[in-house]
Amino acid sequence: MRPEGILATFGVDWSHLLAQVISFGIVCVILYWFAYRPVLVMLEARRQQIALGLANAEQITAELARTEAQRQEVMVQANAQANTLIDQARAAAARVREQQTQKAIAAAEQITISAREAAARDHDRMLAELKREVGRLVVEATAAVTGKILTSEDQRRLAEETARRVAA
Amino acid sequence: MKINKRAKREAEQLFRLCLVNRGLDENRVRHVVQRVVAADRRDSPAILSHFWRLVKLDVARHTATIESVTVVPADVQAAIEAGLMRRYGPRVTTIFAYRPALIAGVRIQVGSDVYDGSVQARLTALQKSF
Repeated sequence: MRPEGILATFGVDWSHLLAQVISFGIVCVILYWFAYRPVLVMLEARRQQIALGLANAEQITAELARTEAQRQEVMVQANAQANTLIDQARAAAARVREQQTQKAIAAAEQITISAREAAARDHDRMLAELKREVGRLVVEATAAVTGKILTSEDQRRLAEETARRVAA
Repeated sequence: MKINKRAKREAEQLFRLCLVNRGLDENRVRHVVQRVVAADRRDSPAILSHFWRLVKLDVARHTATIESVTVVPADVQAAIEAGLMRRYGPRVTTIFAYRPALIAGVRIQVGSDVYDGSVQARLTALQKSF
């Protein structure tokens, strides 16, 4: 079958068709220009906005992760510093306690030594006083009885002893 | 009394004039004193004072004071005098004195030398040792 036959069978009128094609084209151009294009522009803007939002969301997520990591790091450092400070404070407290203990022990020893020295001095003084007193009593007693118990022979012997010292 | 060097020198010269055979002549001492007093110099008191001191020292050097509680036997006295003469020369004169504080024994002093054999000295030494 020839193409003209087919067109005739389907009732195609070239002038009408052309007019319809032109009008359709005009409609398409108008639609494209006033409807489709703004929609595309709007869709592109929306797409860019969505992409920007997604990018922002990713950036925020990354920022959150970094912030969390930094927070964790700061927390770890803070814990470490706190532990260090606590250890240093405990060491300082132990040192101060040890120093105070040593001072107290030294003071106690000094007091003990002073007390012992004072006791020894008192003991020596009392002993010396006792010796002097005993000596005085012995001398007094001896002086009281010696003159009475010495015989003339004793007196002579003492005088001779002195004479020998002079002659020596 | 302040005695200057000149008065001391003159007193020492006068004292040497009074020595006869290394011994002090009492007559010369009296004569010197009378002459100094008669001179009536301004420094006579100072001269006589130093002269008196020298005489006193010489007498003390040649005088032995023997103190005891009881009478020292004659033979012991002789022994003491012999010892003193041998040590200090024949010019030593002895004076015996009674001193009951010695308790017993004899104490002899010649000038600044002391020979103390008394019981009191021994007791004093004993007391000091305590």
